Amino acid sequence: MDGWQQLIFLLEGVPLTLSISIFSFLIGIAVGLPLAFIRVYEKEIGFVVDAYEKIWRGIPEIVLLLLIYFGLGPYFPFPFGNAFFVACFVLGLRSGANQSQIYRGAIRGVGDEQMIAGSSVGFSKWNSIWHIMIPQVFTFSTPGLASEYALLIKDSAYVYVIGLAEVTTRSLQLKAMPPVDFVTPFVLAAVIYIALTFPIAFTLDRWGNRRKKKIGL
Amino acid sequence: MFEWLFDPRYYPLILQGLTLTVEITLFGVFLGLLLGTLLAIGDIYGGKLVRGIIAVYVEFFRGSPLFVQLLIAVYTVPAILNLQIDHYLLAFLVFGLNSAGYQKGYMKGSMQTILDDQMAAGTSVGMSKVQTLRHVILPQAYRIVIPSWTNEFCSLTKSTSTLAFIGLLDLTGAGLSIKGATMQILPVWIVIGAIYLVWITGFSKIMDIIYEKKKIPGVELIMQ
Amino acid sequence: MTEYVMEARHVYKTYRIKGTKKEDTKIVEAVKDVSLQIRKGDIKLIFGPSGSGKSTFLRCMAMLDIPDKGEIYLGDQCLTKPGVDLNKARARIGFVFQHIYLFRHLTALGNVELALRKVLKLPKEEARKRALAALEEVKVTECINKYPSQLSGGQAQRVGIARAIVRSPDIILLDEPTSALDPELTGEVIDTLRDLAKEGTTMLIVSHEMPFARDVAEEMIFYDEGHIIETGPPSLFFNAPNTDRAKQFMTRIINRTTRE
Repeated sequence: MDGWQQLIFLLEGVPLTLSISIFSFLIGIAVGLPLAFIRVYEKEIGFVVDAYEKIWRGIPEIVLLLLIYFGLGPYFPFPFGNAFFVACFVLGLRSGANQSQIYRGAIRGVGDEQMIAGSSVGFSKWNSIWHIMIPQVFTFSTPGLASEYALLIKDSAYVYVIGLAEVTTRSLQLKAMPPVDFVTPFVLAAVIYIALTFPIAFTLDRWGNRRKKKIGL
Repeated sequence: MFEWLFDPRYYPLILQGLTLTVEITLFGVFLGLLLGTLLAIGDIYGGKLVRGIIAVYVEFFRGSPLFVQLLIAVYTVPAILNLQIDHYLLAFLVFGLNSAGYQKGYMKGSMQTILDDQMAAGTSVGMSKVQTLRHVILPQAYRIVIPSWTNEFCSLTKSTSTLAFIGLLDLTGAGLSIKGATMQILPVWIVIGAIYLVWITGFSKIMDIIYEKKKIPGVELIMQ
Repeated sequence: MTEYVMEARHVYKTYRIKGTKKEDTKIVEAVKDVSLQIRKGDIKLIFGPSGSGKSTFLRCMAMLDIPDKGEIYLGDQCLTKPGVDLNKARARIGFVFQHIYLFRHLTALGNVELALRKVLKLPKEEARKRALAALEEVKVTECINKYPSQLSGGQAQRVGIARAIVRSPDIILLDEPTSALDPELTGEVIDTLRDLAKEGTTMLIVSHEMPFARDVAEEMIFYDEGHIIETGPPSLFFNAPNTDRAKQFMTRIINRTTRE
């Protein structure tokens, strides 16, 4: 295959890369946001959140992918036999651990006064959280979230080990195909990832900075 | 299921794998710290050309997966140079260069937390910028950056599992071998995962204790 | 041979404050054609409204900020000429900052010693002796092995003064040395400055501590909007300033001063 054909072959893996990263990011929000609030506002069960974060900080994603897909998959083909599910499951829960830390910092940054202000106008604790804290927490977290999303795009490369045909997997497939070309597939793959991470991080950052200045954070 | 754990035949394998993992991680984070500091200084004090080169460097190493960088190092670079290069050497280098890309950001943030006032204080007593950097800014910056550095260590350790897929014998590679030999998939990965967990959590805990002792009261790096 | 310890000639300094958008960038003309001569033993005090540029001018004198136009002389040496070894020059100038800026990773003793070891290249014992003497002079001997975070504001600022005087500089520049301190703590710093004045130290101080100004300063300089408006002995300003702006400022200040 010549250069252009290789590029197209690699680009065909991009939808998979993006869908894995997007789903994982959303799972991360769904997991991380509640965990962060629990950690800050319900101190008694906070240790559960700490344990969760420690586990995801301490075990490589690749090992977990192999463990779940090849270890649990045979026993529970639905859902752990589905590579895409396993990929989003592992990366999503991992992202939840990272995002929990990001939101925790943001909650502290936004400040307790906001919660007090909420109760002063009659909001219950959870109402205050939903209407007052969460919007500000998101604005405050944008730099961290931007880098977390870029991280997910890059970590999607790990799914090579469970056989999903995204960009990195395809680059290795190209390497195996004749004629012998060790240069183009990998360089193109790197360029594709950089093209994916650069603009996203860049615009999320700008958007967050502008909103932050508007609400005076 | 876990009978193989008691079979000493597999211990050297695990030990060898763990050793490589630890070696590459530590080399990577320390080289990353050194090089990252240089890059940070270059970014703060360098001219447009220097900062441009640093920006390209950082964008490459932070914008693409470490796995792909490893593949480039192990397949592309020898092909272009028409040389056979030891894969272990390449792996060490890639992890160091990659980590430097991230640590440049941490060091720069750490330095800038104290830069303006401490640089003014240092030059006000007659020290040159270089002297101030060496005796005032960096000693403080290294302490401020410890939490970020520890985070980078955890991140890097987890990334070393990719080494198994370019044929090197790290802890994950040991797992693959043992799994192949014993046909026990779930137990093997549980044990391997546990070893990683103990190593990473233990090292982090030590670094947390060191940070508590060494940190500069009232100064913390606000992670961006 | 000049008779002046330091001299500023027609100094200009402008700086930009960047806003969120390019259009929001503010241009501040902090120093507009300011000239000043200081002789040995002078104690001069610059005062005026906030934001008038006094601190910027003082930093220009120490070459911590580089003037856009004009010359700064330290004795016979012109500091604003290109190619001058500013570090050597700054070693002859003592500077005390409003926010103190102690080296946080060193003890009080370490803070004072550092320049002696690294700039003057003194051996350990001699550096230590001189540092201890300076700390004794500012009366903080009980703090020598403490870290900045363990010191009160007044103690920290006195260490800052010790750091500035230990090199026996030609002149000491002080930028609002008491403004960042709690009112109870300013007394100790002011006493230290009084002692220094008594010993004949050449000082240029930016401050709005009016009681101190009246008692210790030999000449007061009223600075507003980048210019020196009026100069004279304290008695001039406290009784009958010549210019209207100085009159306005003194009236407001005296009404506000409740401490005497």
